[in-house]
Order: sequence, then structure tokens, then C-alpha cells
Amino acid sequence: MNIPRGELHRSRVVDDPGTTLSLALDRQLTGYAVFEPQDAVLLGEETRGVVTFEDGVPVLAYCTDTDSGGAEALADVAGPGPFRVELYELDASALEDAHASDDCRVSPGLPAERLSGDRALVTRTRDAAPEDRLGTDDGTAVEDFLADESQIEAIREQAREEARSRAEEWGLTDVLDD
Amino acid sequence: MVEAFAVASGKGGTGKTTSTLALGMALAETHDVTVVDADTGMANLLFHTGLDEATTTLHDLLIADADADVSDAVYERFGMKVVPCGTSLAAFREADPERLRDVVATLAADTDVLLLDSPAALGSKSAVLPIALADRTVIVLQPTVPALSDGLKVQEYARSYGTSTAGTLFNRVRDDEAVDRVVDQAEEYFGGETLGVVPESEAARAARRAGEPLLAHAPDSPASQAFREAARRLEVREGESEAVAARFQSAVIPDEV
Repeated sequence: MNIPRGELHRSRVVDDPGTTLSLALDRQLTGYAVFEPQDAVLLGEETRGVVTFEDGVPVLAYCTDTDSGGAEALADVAGPGPFRVELYELDASALEDAHASDDCRVSPGLPAERLSGDRALVTRTRDAAPEDRLGTDDGTAVEDFLADESQIEAIREQAREEARSRAEEWGLTDVLDD
Repeated sequence: MVEAFAVASGKGGTGKTTSTLALGMALAETHDVTVVDADTGMANLLFHTGLDEATTTLHDLLIADADADVSDAVYERFGMKVVPCGTSLAAFREADPERLRDVVATLAADTDVLLLDSPAALGSKSAVLPIALADRTVIVLQPTVPALSDGLKVQEYARSYGTSTAGTLFNRVRDDEAVDRVVDQAEEYFGGETLGVVPESEAARAARRAGEPLLAHAPDSPASQAFREAARRLEVREGESEAVAARFQSAVIPDEV
């Protein structure tokens, strides 16, 4: 994905990527965020996830390490944190080409859903998204969701990882199925 | 002879408690059934069973210096044994989720089917314990993206603890035509079979207001019939009570799970 370098808005380490997504949303930022999981031992040192925004609403997701896009990229980047995050601002015209393509596209609420699990943020993001970016929750949207096997696998993979890391946190490893 | 099912959904509002009690009442025609409100943070089974005034509840069994006996929190209602949970936040904060293991072990020793009405959340130990401890889950879904997405997460969490999916139940379904295709697609991802597709029902809301399970309040409603059919499809496996009870107790060795 070819995105010109923007103006650095903020750089910090966060536990929850939702903090950054929420900030971009509140500021109606057009640009992109780079998420770098700090768990280098597990994920390799080069893993970086990029999420682009238009008026604060996520448009694309891309993972530099695995070269994956969309839901798959979010699954590759997701983890217990912390993350080093850099938030860049760009002119909308600089993102036009990238945003014109369907590659790596995500539904508006998906980055919040996958990276943060903050349902209120998912709802807020969807509320802020333009009408044409929202699938309706009728049969077709559900069928499209279920037809996207890679997205489903990404959800399952993330849930498996989350279940294991939380089992350790809660002292439930004795009942984990090894 | 006992099998413990966690009736679970990742998302609230799917009608999980209505489903738990409906399956419980239908299964109680052929089995000895115990229903436990394991949703200790958002308990509502008591309102569905007319037990609002219950003096002893699961909360009383989960506090550290509990002097209540498990049998004190068991109420015979609608042909089942019902273990309600209180709604006090203070009691929830004092409750030790680990003690659920012992409570469930005690109940498992004396029933055929144990249904755990599980929290619609995965964010805490008390929310995850019921699906971690059960033999299998029944996942309550709605044909919407958030409900299916959260249902998939519940299934993966449960599988991480060796808890397989007994089947799925599509509840509060409005559009019969689209749901057939959705159910077909969902079967590729969820374990077990689709136990039923239950229509949205005003009777379920009326039952809740009356403090009765749906099957007692409106036994002939289309939703009740769908739940009874779902219970028929849910094949209860026979387990050794002692083995099941032992599995719930604290001294569990992972290899035995």
C-alpha cells in the first residue's frame, strides 16, 4: 500500500489501540495510524499495522510484516498490547488513490472491534460513518459476513489467542485444553 | 448421569435466559433437570421463574464465609430444580467466582442435565467460568453480524477449555426467508447442529412479565414449539456423575479435562 508520509500528530505507547482510534474519531482526523505491537518476542520485530482514516472513520487496514490486508491484517496486529502508536495527519487528496481501491478495505467499526473490543467505540464509529460505508443489517449483510471465510478465521484466531492469554491472567490454565 | 451445558451467547439481548428455561422445561419431561443462573453479574433468571423474593440464592453460596447449604438455594419450579442468583451488586462484588466450581460439582452429583445460564460477556473470570466448566455449550444466536461474530468468539473461548459446541439456537428471528440461508452458512463455522430457529415472540415478553418460563406461560406458541423441537434434537450424553463432579472441583488436573 502506497501512502505518503503525513504530519506526525502523536506518538506514544498505549495499552489499548482503542485510545488512538477514539482520538482519531473525536478529531475527525484524515490520515493514518501505525500500530506496532511491543510483544516483539512473539510477533517479530517488524510487525506494524496501518489503519487509514477519513474524517476519523477507518477505511483501510494493512499489516506490513505479513503483507495482509483488511480483517486479516487486523488479526495479525491484534494482541494483548502494549502498542507503540503513531498518528499521522494527511490531506484527503493524498489518500484518494489508496482509498479508491477495495483492497484492504474494512468496515468502519472493524478496527475498534478487533483491536480493542470496545463495543461503545464500535457503535460510535459506525454512527459517525457515512451511510454508503455501512452495510445494512439485513440478510445480505449477514450473508456477506458469513461468506468471508478469512474474516471469520481472523475472528476465531483472535478469540483463541485472547482466551489463552486471559486464562493465564485469571489463573484458569488448569482447565485449559492443551 | 449428568451432562452440563452452558447456554451462552456473546451478546446480550438474544433471549438466553428464555432459551435456558425453555430447553430446561422441555428436557425435564424426560430428565431430571437443574437450571443455574451462572450470570452472576446480570442475574435475571429469578424474574423469569417468579423467584424475585428468594431468600437464598447462588450469591449466598459464593461468598467466602458462606454458611448456606447448596440445597438452600435450590427451588423446585416448573418441574425443574432452579438455582437463581441475586441481583445485588454488593453481593456480586463479594462473590468468589472460584466457588462456582464446588457449587456446580455438588449440583452435578444429583441431576441428569445441568443447564448453566451463562453471562453474555467474556471479559472476566466469572463470565468465562461457566463455559470453561461445562461439558458442551448451546450457543444462542440471532441472524445479525454482531450476534454471529460474538457467538464465534464464545465458541472459540469454550473450545480453548475443551468445551465443544452441542448446537446453536437462532432465537428472536424475524425474517424467515433470509434466515434459512444464514443458518446454512453458519453451520459451516459452528459445531453441533442447528437445534432450532425460534421466531420473535410477544409471548416471551409476556412470560417474563408474568414471572414464568415461556413454556409454562404460552406452551402452544410457535416459539415454545420451536424450543421443544430444539430440546428433542439436543442429545444428552450420559456421563459418570462422579467424574463430572470431580472435574468441577478446584483440584483439576489439565490432562483429565
